[in-house]
Amino acid sequence: MNKKLIALKDGFLRPGKSFLEGDIFVKLSALLMGAGYFRRKQIIKGLIITIFQFVVIFFAFTVAVPYLSKITTLGTVQRESVFNFETMKNEENDYDHSFKILLYGIICIVVLTMSVVIYFINITRVRNLQLLAENGKHINSISEDIRAYKNDKFHMTLLFFPIMGVVTFTIIPLLVMISVAFTNYDQNHMPPTSLFTWVGIENFKNMFTNSVTISFGYAFRTVLGWTLVWAFFATFTNYIGGILLAMFINNRKTKFQRVWRMLFVVAIAVPQFVSLLLVRNFFADTGIVNTICSNIGLTHLLQSIGLVNANISYIPFLTSPGWAKFMIILLNMWVGIPYLMLIATGVLMNIPMDIRESARIDGANGFQEFTRITMPYMLFVTGPFLVTQFVGNINNFNVIYLLTQDVYVTLDQALANSRAKEIDLLITWLFRLTNEYYNYKMASVIGILVFVICAIFTLIAFNSMIRGNKEENFQV
Amino acid sequence: MKKTIKSILRHGFLAILAFIWLIPIIWLFCTSFSAYPGINISKFFPDQWTFQNYRLLLFDADTVAQFPNWFMNTLTIAVFTCIISSMFVLMVSYAISCMRFKMRKPFMNIAILLNLFPGFLAMIAVYFILKSLNMTNTRIGLILVYSGSSGLGYLVAKGFFDTISKSLREAASIEGASQLQIFTKIVLPISKPIIVYTVISSFLVPWMDFIFARIILNSGISSEQTVAIGLYRMLDKTLINSYFARFCAGGVLVSIPISILFMFMQKFYVEGITGGSVKG
Amino acid sequence: MKKRKLLAIVMAVMMISSLTACGSNSGTSTDTTPTATTAATTDTTAATATPEPTKAAEATATSAPATDLETIELTMWGAEEDQTMLSEMVESFKAAYADKANFVINLGVESESTAKDTVLTDIEAAADVFAFADDQLNELVNAGALQAVQIDTDAIIAANGGADAGSVKAATSDGTLYAYPMTADNGYFMFYNKEYFTEDDVMSLDKMMEVAANAGKQITMQFDSGWYLYSFFQGAGLSLQLQPDGTNLCDWNSTTTAIKGVDVVQAMLDIAANPGFVSLGDAAFVTGVQDGSIIAGVNGTWNANVAAESWGDNYAATKLPTYTVAGQQVQMSSFAGYKLVGVNAYSDNVGWAMYLAEWITNYDNQVKRFEQRGLGPSNVEAGASDSVQASPAIAALAKQSLYATVQRVGGNYWSPTETFGAIIAAGNIDGTDLQTLVDNMVDGITAPVQ
Repeated sequence: MNKKLIALKDGFLRPGKSFLEGDIFVKLSALLMGAGYFRRKQIIKGLIITIFQFVVIFFAFTVAVPYLSKITTLGTVQRESVFNFETMKNEENDYDHSFKILLYGIICIVVLTMSVVIYFINITRVRNLQLLAENGKHINSISEDIRAYKNDKFHMTLLFFPIMGVVTFTIIPLLVMISVAFTNYDQNHMPPTSLFTWVGIENFKNMFTNSVTISFGYAFRTVLGWTLVWAFFATFTNYIGGILLAMFINNRKTKFQRVWRMLFVVAIAVPQFVSLLLVRNFFADTGIVNTICSNIGLTHLLQSIGLVNANISYIPFLTSPGWAKFMIILLNMWVGIPYLMLIATGVLMNIPMDIRESARIDGANGFQEFTRITMPYMLFVTGPFLVTQFVGNINNFNVIYLLTQDVYVTLDQALANSRAKEIDLLITWLFRLTNEYYNYKMASVIGILVFVICAIFTLIAFNSMIRGNKEENFQV
Repeated sequence: MKKTIKSILRHGFLAILAFIWLIPIIWLFCTSFSAYPGINISKFFPDQWTFQNYRLLLFDADTVAQFPNWFMNTLTIAVFTCIISSMFVLMVSYAISCMRFKMRKPFMNIAILLNLFPGFLAMIAVYFILKSLNMTNTRIGLILVYSGSSGLGYLVAKGFFDTISKSLREAASIEGASQLQIFTKIVLPISKPIIVYTVISSFLVPWMDFIFARIILNSGISSEQTVAIGLYRMLDKTLINSYFARFCAGGVLVSIPISILFMFMQKFYVEGITGGSVKG
Repeated sequence: MKKRKLLAIVMAVMMISSLTACGSNSGTSTDTTPTATTAATTDTTAATATPEPTKAAEATATSAPATDLETIELTMWGAEEDQTMLSEMVESFKAAYADKANFVINLGVESESTAKDTVLTDIEAAADVFAFADDQLNELVNAGALQAVQIDTDAIIAANGGADAGSVKAATSDGTLYAYPMTADNGYFMFYNKEYFTEDDVMSLDKMMEVAANAGKQITMQFDSGWYLYSFFQGAGLSLQLQPDGTNLCDWNSTTTAIKGVDVVQAMLDIAANPGFVSLGDAAFVTGVQDGSIIAGVNGTWNANVAAESWGDNYAATKLPTYTVAGQQVQMSSFAGYKLVGVNAYSDNVGWAMYLAEWITNYDNQVKRFEQRGLGPSNVEAGASDSVQASPAIAALAKQSLYATVQRVGGNYWSPTETFGAIIAAGNIDGTDLQTLVDNMVDGITAPVQ
């Protein structure tokens, strides 16, 4: 830990030290970033960095200043427009668009921060260049520099575009939406017509409040509870089911293994929005399954043992809380087991034969072999995978959304007031809040809480597995 | 004798399981040949069989169903997404698995953190970023959305690269090969399983996504849509009664190429995903 | 505008070649040729209604020697099934105003029932002219998405029956007309099969359920939907009002009115428990009608074809029946439903957009809409024609319109009523006290907008 701190301190101090110790051209580089390179005859490099400097300065004054100056209020001028009968167009004032101010403000902050970092790194670089020159060492030509990007600095070549993509399409959007959690961006404050502004931690307070008018606290607890139950069952039913199926198919006594595997894989080759929507109609209150169940008397049987309410003449597969939860987990097995079967197939093939052989010699039967050899091995090998599956299931949108959207009606008034349903996961609740109710502020709060929950689980799981630090050992 | 019975039982059990798994698919297939255009939720098999749905879908596009256009759109998007994503994923995972540099650990940690945020959260912000680039309602826009942050999904491929012997790379390095050459000439050729895995999974994304596409392609012009949103829209309350059978036909048409992909690639898929997800 | 471009450039620099690599592949180009006026159907031009391309198009058009008319680019959204008809209307619009300007009009598909969702996500990118169901008017007005009607306002109001007509009220918010009434058929009424019911039977719900139960069949109405549920409470004289701040005022749990809130709940529970009744959603209604298990039901014109095809000559429709509450017969009320055409307040050619909206909702085109698609006109003159009056569904709507009210409810109305309806339809399994049940619902309905 200490080492890291020192390295960090060094990183901050080095540019200053380089600046103080450097020659006049290093000092000049603080003004004109290319100066030091020009001195060492690295003209092209000097030109590129100087052009970069001017672009950033130009950008800072023309774009960043106007947006950043408004970011504290997120805009003050509301739109006004008057229809002009002469031109047949609306005449508008120069109004503020809160979301754009927020978005572009954050983009500006990111771009400027990156520029400042490059600026300081540049001073150190130029100083190093000076040292090289003074010690009479070789100074790279431009072609040698380029070659370095294919070799020692190859990782930078590899990572540049992917990181740019991640910054643009993940980091900036996430920063924006995290900020939204601290604003009042909702249906009553929707740009471009209305403005929204900062409200501090108001939304977080509301999320944990339970009063007559705000039921988010209750809804959050209910939804979180089911999310965790779901993630647990979805992960383990699929995991165990997948392994059992894989073992069954891979058994020496099974013929046509590839064909069997293929049959199961076909079920997942159909896009989920097709297959799950079909299944939803299958299990509808007036659907085929219900028709069959009532014909063979199953509905009546379930009614007599109290699993189905006597008032209704069908099995509410996807419309009553208990049944829907059960069905969702069951149908998720239908979707998920083939995947897990494929993965488990690969892992099972890798179980060292000698371990099994010795178990057999010790007289272990099939079941013992499974519990003592196969499962521990699988758990050992796929531990990290299980954690990612668990987190993935917390955020598993498709299954629940497709199975219950437009079909399931909550029977809990307090949940309905917060636009939640018994079968909602945090992620589906979040989606409905944004997509149907434009309640971006609360959705962002939920998003942040989902992150916190996932992070906690990942940390606990990974710490207990002591992973990461020993990864070198895995490499042969 | 006992053996045969056991074998029959074993295969019978598998057959029953497979049947359960395939019932909805069979229903999809049958309904796609149904002469009745709407949804029949009380009967399994259609009353009358016809090729009409396929004919209408493929050769007689109307304003709602423009399947050939959708298919071409999705295919283009999928091909480019697949190329960019696969490159990004392989590049990132090679860098992180096989090279050692100062920011490596921080990168990995940041990537893990970013993966924990729910993706939909940022949807509206992504939309406005694309809009500021004037790329909403374009195929490029969707390609960027699907492939832009694909670098974050490096874990599986990194796990696979981790299993490649270090000495192989060192030997090449001693013989004077650059890192670029090691990557392209030595590591990639022996990484077929993971490449296939990455390619397939990124190729499939545009065919399955009905959320992002709906937000980004918001012009309402049917011929510009992708298969997923086009089909999804057929289930609109006002349309379902006249388009459900065609929806099924569309579902079948999409599933066929994907199934074939899976069939041929099954082996690589299994090797790739297990090599990666397990050892990492 | 300049700032935005700069920003775009900087971002583009950041991403350099990953974009240019596939740049040639872009399907939609924004530099639309302004002369492509002749074939303005769905797939001719890009639909980007962003300001820059339009202005560019104008510039080229004015400098072009071929014509000195301005080129106006508009985008219009309409329902899927209407596309062919809309493109005909667009052609006639272009012809009518050919001497005023050149038009490039793009048609897009957006169902009237979901228009609001797409528009509100990004108003600036939405179509210049779009059709929507009248229940979305409030939210659209609140979000500033709708341009007030400012051309020929009085004539439009008069054509639709004056300021007190339902269709005009439905398009009016706070005294201002915000949309052009297009159809007056988006409400609900009773479909029935004449094979089982006489015209007297369908006057009362009790009689209908009795007939159905005796025949081993069922009649239906969707309980778990605030839209239909309204019939019972409004019919019983209880009230629901929208406040200016977007919240609802609701006395459905009243204990002091002539018919109390709990009386209505009890009546609904009795109906739900009747063997001749079942609460079904839209899709199930259709299936039920087709397989013969449903012989009457409350639904709207969108399912008229299904009923007409399944029941043939026995197909009939009428107003909603009366139902029994607190020992008396009460006529069921309903939401009157209209489809409206709105003009986007952020349109670059708001004036021409108004002309287009007016055009597609004028007398001729409402007649055309009825003839081609069977949609009931809001235009009084068009609605008075014999052929319109002969349509059972539209006649039924006209009868029901005496008891219907314009739909003006705040966003918090839907979820609580849906849940309440679901509880009633399931027979109040938990045995919750009825007053508590209705109190909970009213709390939800009247909750402040969060």
